[in-house]
Amino acid sequence: MRHLLVCATVLVALWSCHPEPDDYDLLDQMVVSTNYDTTVYIGGNSVSSYKTYALPKDTIGYVSNTDRNDTIRTSPQYDLPRKVLQAVETNMINLGYIPAGLGEIPDIGVNVYAVKDLNLFQQVIYPNYYYSGYYGYGGYYYYPYVQTYAYNTGSLVVEFVDLKNAAANKKYVVIWNAYMGDLFNAVNQLDQSIEAVNQAFEQSPYLKVQ
Amino acid sequence: MKKYLMFTIALLGAQVLYAQNNYFYIALDVNTPLGNKDFVNETSAKGGRLGYRAFVTEDSRVSIGIDASWTTFDKYKPTETFESHGGAITTDYFNYVYQYSLAVSGLYHFKLGESERIFPYAGVGLGANHNEYVQYYNIYSSAEKKWGFLVRPEAGILFRFTRNRGLGAMAAVHYDYSTNKSENFNIDKFSSVGFQIGLIVMNRY
Repeated sequence: MRHLLVCATVLVALWSCHPEPDDYDLLDQMVVSTNYDTTVYIGGNSVSSYKTYALPKDTIGYVSNTDRNDTIRTSPQYDLPRKVLQAVETNMINLGYIPAGLGEIPDIGVNVYAVKDLNLFQQVIYPNYYYSGYYGYGGYYYYPYVQTYAYNTGSLVVEFVDLKNAAANKKYVVIWNAYMGDLFNAVNQLDQSIEAVNQAFEQSPYLKVQ
Repeated sequence: MKKYLMFTIALLGAQVLYAQNNYFYIALDVNTPLGNKDFVNETSAKGGRLGYRAFVTEDSRVSIGIDASWTTFDKYKPTETFESHGGAITTDYFNYVYQYSLAVSGLYHFKLGESERIFPYAGVGLGANHNEYVQYYNIYSSAEKKWGFLVRPEAGILFRFTRNRGLGAMAAVHYDYSTNKSENFNIDKFSSVGFQIGLIVMNRY
């Protein structure tokens, strides 16, 4: 009778202790965060009229805290760069920007890069310890061991750098950026990245060329 | 006055500890939040409760007990864009409230026939609850943990399967009013109504 109660206790506890959302439901859409320079974009318009841009065709930056050699990602090894850059370009053109001509200094330099952050954490495991109780004879001792877990997180980043006023500012100022994540846990990395880029522009109507 | 109160509590505590007539229970707890429905609104069966209650004297119909319960409320929020000064953020997200509570209850068990098998009861529990408010979005989450004071009126029925055996079943309804609030998620006074069904092991002669 009491065993039944114990079983019921365990079952109820397991059923409902600390449930979390399903991974698939969480990761099927990226979080898109956009930020703009409030001294440049005022009242939904930019104080400086930007018109031309420069954007790579097949290469995006790649910043990682683990792999020193891999600093850029290029097509055709990866599908992602070209498709993402095409999505950025389509949105730029829809907003009224035009690509800078050869030898022309663009008003905006568009940086696109991925940031990969390898997270490591370790846990010390102490296996069952058995000791017979007489000066170590007949006892078993298992040494503790360290278990290492690793997971990647990261963001896809698009930045607008003000090149038009760089000389006057005496520095390169990022006037708009979009952080989209998580890139490395996405259910469908390519499609979700493109959707995220489109969303970043959609939620930034002030970027439209005046 | 304070001395008398402490003495009474100690006396009742000792009485409960040595009580001959008592019961344990474990129950599945189904709850619906009543307020703050913008944060969580769905009825949740992800909850449970266990407790111990002892009759004050052998023939008494009044019991004093302790109840521990837990419930998880959740709500899915479709994709939304939040504007702020200098930017915007777009995401879909899940709101969760993990609720754990501990209450001391005083219940009156009504007499129903001579069989001592069925015990309708009503009473109130007083205690504290701990709410963890969490928003999950993609791999990220924001959380706030808060304590609150809990008042829980409750009515239910206990049913022993046979006169001479302790095992039985229980069903109850309860209303939880708590002062628990979250500043970050704009939640004030978390209340809910619940229904529970479970098993009891009773010692009553």
